[in-house]
Amino acid sequence: MNVDPVINVTAVAQWGRDSGIYGLMTTRWGWPIAESFHFIGLCLMFGTVGLFDLRMLGMARGVQLRALHRLVPYGLGGFAISITTGLLFVMTAPEQYLHNPAFLIKLSLMLLAVLNMMLFYAIAARTVWLTGADDLPPLRARFFGALSLLCWLGVMTCGRVITAYRPPAYFWCPWC
Amino acid sequence: MLVNSIFAGIERWPLSVWAREDDYAYFVALILHAWGMAFLVGAGIVISLRGMGVGSGAALSAFRGFLPVMWLGAALAIPSGCVLLVAYPAKALTNPVFAIKFACLIGAAMLMRRLMRHEVLPRNHRMLAALCLLLWLGGVAAGKLLLHTYHMLTVS
Repeated sequence: MNVDPVINVTAVAQWGRDSGIYGLMTTRWGWPIAESFHFIGLCLMFGTVGLFDLRMLGMARGVQLRALHRLVPYGLGGFAISITTGLLFVMTAPEQYLHNPAFLIKLSLMLLAVLNMMLFYAIAARTVWLTGADDLPPLRARFFGALSLLCWLGVMTCGRVITAYRPPAYFWCPWC
Repeated sequence: MLVNSIFAGIERWPLSVWAREDDYAYFVALILHAWGMAFLVGAGIVISLRGMGVGSGAALSAFRGFLPVMWLGAALAIPSGCVLLVAYPAKALTNPVFAIKFACLIGAAMLMRRLMRHEVLPRNHRMLAALCLLLWLGGVAAGKLLLHTYHMLTVS
């Protein structure tokens, strides 16, 4: 089996044990409670950001985009919950995640969604705030909305795939 | 036992056998269920938050435009949930957490209907919306706990 020169799975596992996270997560309710919070965070994020994206795509005319955007910080709170609980999973069982293509694709899609969001604020947000409650935002804003929605659906799909598809490291490690 | 024989009968249905034994069926149902729940509960959370007074500047009644998102979520979550249930009926129906999940989701849907039905909001709408939010979150939490709290997988 090839050795991974980039990701030291053993070191991450050791870090999880030394920090006490492994012990906490392997109690009767540690992992289940973290999983519940992981999906609650995702629902908060997907609800607020996803509905904002859908409004940009023309759904629910009559809802002012600026007003809807006031809910987005709750989504970011949900995202923080999901990231925190996700880190707990990885530190508890790094061998199930760090060489799993579904996990790597999930991280890539999250990165793409964050980049898309930053570009949205840099390029299109100003015109979106001026959009009337019954109007459709400009085409480029709709593009950001559609891409964001697709990214988060992909993130969710990969999250489910991770639980079922766990190839060994030598099977999927392009840099090994 | 009568209940066990019912479970065993369901487990012999072609749909149940297919959902358990096909390489992808159960797994695809899980993905569709996750999508459906995210649409349903995600939109439910947003409407509940608005009902609690967050995101002022848009009338709660205008959020009715998002109800199709919740219907889409239900249209994905209910059939996929039925496939998951038929695949392992004893796993779900002998687990009290499954009843808690259902009670939370049905309660949340009824409260949502009450919040969205009239142009004039009920006087206690903030409290109703907060309760609705708790029930949506409770439904999600119970759904995730199902995997970790069942006593039996199949009877046959």
